[in-house]
Amino acid sequence: MIKKIAVVDGVRTPFIKAWSLFDGLSAQKLGALCVSELVQRTEIDPDSVDEVILGCVGQPIDAANVARVVSLMAGLPKSARAYTVNRNCASGFEAVTSAAEKISAGQDEIVLAGGTESMSNAPLVFSKEAAGLFMKLQKARTLTERLGVLAQFRPKHFAPQAALQLALTDPTCGLNMGQTAEVVAKMFAIPRKRQDDFALESHRRVVASRDKLRQEIMTVHVPPKYTQSVRDDNGVRENLTAEQLAKLKPVFDRRTGTVTAGNSSQITDGACALLLMPEEKAKALGYSILGTIAAYDYVGLEPSQMGLGPAFVIERLLRRTGIPLKDIGLFEINEAFAVQVLACVEALASKSFAEKYFPGRQAMGEINPALLNVNGGGIALGHPVGVSGARLVLTCLKEMKRRGLRRGLVSLCIGGGQGGAVLLERESS
Amino acid sequence: MSGAWKLEVKDGVGDLVFDNPGSDVNVLTSEHLGALDQTLDELARRAEIKALVITSAKERIFIAGADIRQIEGITTPQDALDKAELGKAILKKLENLPYPTVCVISGACLGGGYELALACDRRVASFSPSVKIGLPEVHLGILPGFGGSIRLPRLVGLLKGLPLILAGKRVSAEEALKNGMVDRLFPEKTLRTDAIAYAVTLKSKHRIPRKKGLGVAFFEDTPIGRAIVYHKARKDVLKRTKGKYPAPLEIIKLVGRTYGRSDTGAYRLESERFARLATTGVSKNLIKVFFLSEKYKKHRWTDSAAKSDGVKKCGVIGAGVMGGGIAQLVSARDLSVRVKDLHDKALSGALLEALKINQSALKRRRIRKHELENRMSLISTTLDNSGLGKCDILIEAVVEDLGIKQRVFKELSGLTGPGTILASNTSSLPVTRMAEVCAHPERVVGLHFFNPVDRMPLVEVIRAAQSSPETVERTVLFARRLGKTVILTEDRPGFLVNRLLLPYLNEAAYLLSEGLPCERIDRIAEDFGLPMGPIELADQVGIDVGTKVAHILQEAFGERMKVAPILEDVQKAGLLGKKSGKGFYVYDGKKRTPNPEVKAGSGSKITETDALKRMIYIMINEAARCLEEKVVDSAATVDIGMIMGTGFPPYRGGLLRYADSIGASAILKDLERFSKEVDAKRFEPSKLLVELARTGRTFHA
Repeated sequence: MIKKIAVVDGVRTPFIKAWSLFDGLSAQKLGALCVSELVQRTEIDPDSVDEVILGCVGQPIDAANVARVVSLMAGLPKSARAYTVNRNCASGFEAVTSAAEKISAGQDEIVLAGGTESMSNAPLVFSKEAAGLFMKLQKARTLTERLGVLAQFRPKHFAPQAALQLALTDPTCGLNMGQTAEVVAKMFAIPRKRQDDFALESHRRVVASRDKLRQEIMTVHVPPKYTQSVRDDNGVRENLTAEQLAKLKPVFDRRTGTVTAGNSSQITDGACALLLMPEEKAKALGYSILGTIAAYDYVGLEPSQMGLGPAFVIERLLRRTGIPLKDIGLFEINEAFAVQVLACVEALASKSFAEKYFPGRQAMGEINPALLNVNGGGIALGHPVGVSGARLVLTCLKEMKRRGLRRGLVSLCIGGGQGGAVLLERESS
Repeated sequence: MSGAWKLEVKDGVGDLVFDNPGSDVNVLTSEHLGALDQTLDELARRAEIKALVITSAKERIFIAGADIRQIEGITTPQDALDKAELGKAILKKLENLPYPTVCVISGACLGGGYELALACDRRVASFSPSVKIGLPEVHLGILPGFGGSIRLPRLVGLLKGLPLILAGKRVSAEEALKNGMVDRLFPEKTLRTDAIAYAVTLKSKHRIPRKKGLGVAFFEDTPIGRAIVYHKARKDVLKRTKGKYPAPLEIIKLVGRTYGRSDTGAYRLESERFARLATTGVSKNLIKVFFLSEKYKKHRWTDSAAKSDGVKKCGVIGAGVMGGGIAQLVSARDLSVRVKDLHDKALSGALLEALKINQSALKRRRIRKHELENRMSLISTTLDNSGLGKCDILIEAVVEDLGIKQRVFKELSGLTGPGTILASNTSSLPVTRMAEVCAHPERVVGLHFFNPVDRMPLVEVIRAAQSSPETVERTVLFARRLGKTVILTEDRPGFLVNRLLLPYLNEAAYLLSEGLPCERIDRIAEDFGLPMGPIELADQVGIDVGTKVAHILQEAFGERMKVAPILEDVQKAGLLGKKSGKGFYVYDGKKRTPNPEVKAGSGSKITETDALKRMIYIMINEAARCLEEKVVDSAATVDIGMIMGTGFPPYRGGLLRYADSIGASAILKDLERFSKEVDAKRFEPSKLLVELARTGRTFHA
């Protein structure tokens, strides 16, 4: 990278369980709230913002290029550019790395990057066949024509499919995300109990980090009644017990499975935004920055094992940068599924895994669980797909600042069989 | 060709261009009408002409209307009748030209201008935001007198036409096309050529009327249906105007006697009705107020060279009802606004307040759904000072407590640079004292909005002792950008509006304790033309808020503003007014009844005339003092302030215009009588009033 790209600051909305408090907030509204708050907090001159880049997986059907809609709603000048990116679960990463590329290339100088996702507002869709009939009905002119079309309707035509369900299924391998998690569970023989314990710890850590997390969360006064002022993530369960988790039935493989709703990430609404610019520009504007983007990478892998994406991409990123794993003070691996995080940790430490997949090289080493997802993760917070990447960068940088750390590594698995990772740096104090 | 009218004929199409020489504006004076008359005679003779378009040489104006100065100058009904008849006769000639005529509307086309357009066979306009079409005569207390009252309802139908005239509504090009006021819209760039091409295609002068639905046909084409329409219109007008304005009632009667009937006598009747209205005092006063409000839209209050307010971002401190209202107003001008308060509850309350205002605008179709969303997303909230530092103006709207306000100002002053205006929305506290605690106090100013912020058209800009002319000018320009009319006042307790209004409310309270029932007091004021009686107003404002301001005034001005004991009693009893459900009245849904808990007097012998005089003259007397002390610069400022700030009846021309109509000596005589009979201090005549009475002069020079 030519220039060092600074993350000046960032902010996110609370992460809210889908179909609850933010049910009436569209992705564009969530995004606008968040972007506008970031502009206010950083006091960046809106006229100096070159571009808004947002990740969003379930693009709202009423807001094409949702980043542009967000940019305008947030009151940024009409002359500012905006586009939406989709690298599935890593869309929030993609927005950040895309911004870094644009800035490095000199195309943009100041960028607002992040993600917005309203999984509550994912539409229901009619089958192509039903849609065809509806169109015919609309075109029919006479009463007889209309009756003729009506007669062709069958009950099945009135059963729409949830777009969310379709989006969470990989069309190339035919598995939904939970089923890929089961594949990984079997590969690494990770028992249910370990997954549940990991999930429990995620909740415990979020509860313990409430005050810290508030430093990155904005309050959202929920329209249209404005009776709720939401300040915290609401997916976390304060008094969750191992027994409660153990009682849950596996969702994706009813007989032999280990992946339950309790040890998977939640379906969630939220938005996150970061302010990026060249480090020297940030200095010139007098900002004390959160940190810089030191490196990033993406890899592709077998789609049915997509949960292993972080293992592959971390290996590649560290190899390319030459930074040993032990020199990294803090890790965030997105908790799509407990099993998949555990498997990645195992894979990175495993000699045989290295032999098989990275011939001629050593295993990366052990990630200390105490340095991994220290403030909890997607299992307790939820995983608004287009947002999580940006959230990981924000959470990790804030924690690095609190701990005075030099390096942090964030990574996530990507539906469709990819992995993404970003290496973050701060000047050590 | 004669004067302002130029005729060009090319390929059988006449283009009659109106160009008022030496002016940016096209208005229809009697001279221009006379010239048009001659031109029309010639046009009728020119056999080679197959079609005619009428255009304007001004870019953004077709014809802004008749010359209002000339209407103001009409003194006798006969003169009015002659003028209307003459104008009509000329437009009749236009209507009777043997070939199709098309009026080409390129900008404002109002009043007499649109009446001319109505006399053409077709009307076209440009797709341009500068197009404004309508018959706003009713706002001047008259009715369209050049045939517009007859022709518009016939053109667009009774159901659309009557409300257009009654409300004096100005509509956009798109709306005009939709409701039939124009027949076609063309791009601004090619308007003239497109209009000519359109005129050439017209085969006949006759215009095929639009098809009516059954329901519409019932209301417009049957005697019963029409009777219902007129009855409903009358009821609405009476509700709105309480019968104080004769023009809308005359319009309903006139349309009732001419719509759906033959031409015979119809136009003559319109002239007669016009003549009846044009000489009334109501119309004369409304015209004066019209000129006044036009003047105050542009009035320069300082000699500062500031051309713009320089505001790109605004902050509001204090998220009460006022804060929420101000935030909404700012966001509606496409400006980002940051609202700060100490509690989430207050912040969400402000958002709710803003949303409610927008929703009501949405309901009245003033805005569309996406505009509501855009506005709301421009409002952000905060508990700390983040996002305030770079604001170009910060408006303080916290509780009315000088100590707290000073603390807020001190904090804001440390947060911002010298270019940030610090404005207080105080209603009565000294802004100068707030400036004292600030770095760069010259940027401190008062910016007093009235409640409800979105509806009240006035703001007072208060010049503190330290305020720089630039600060004042920028604040004035900002307030105008928010769509408000501005008056500048000096930093004296109560500024202008509250200083006049509070004694009036106080006097009403005295009348109540002397035994005049509250409903009677309110009715007297309403009969005078005020939008709401003083007792109801006190309840609406909030007794706690009202007494607080009253005390500030008493402290500043002494015995003459002594707060009526009954006000204090009511406040102490915890009766806070409408917001608490109980004040001088008890509120139950839409019903209200006098509150038996209020210990009012009984068996008063005060006449209604005296009661009214006590309430109004006390304001006039205080306004005279404001002029003496130079709180405001002129009687005109008092008038515009009271009309826009309190709803003082415009048809009375304003408080001091009304005083002038009574005469200073008559007012003085009554004041002297009241000071003997009622209270020596409250009614002690001001020096200026005594002086005016002595010299026989008036407030308005």
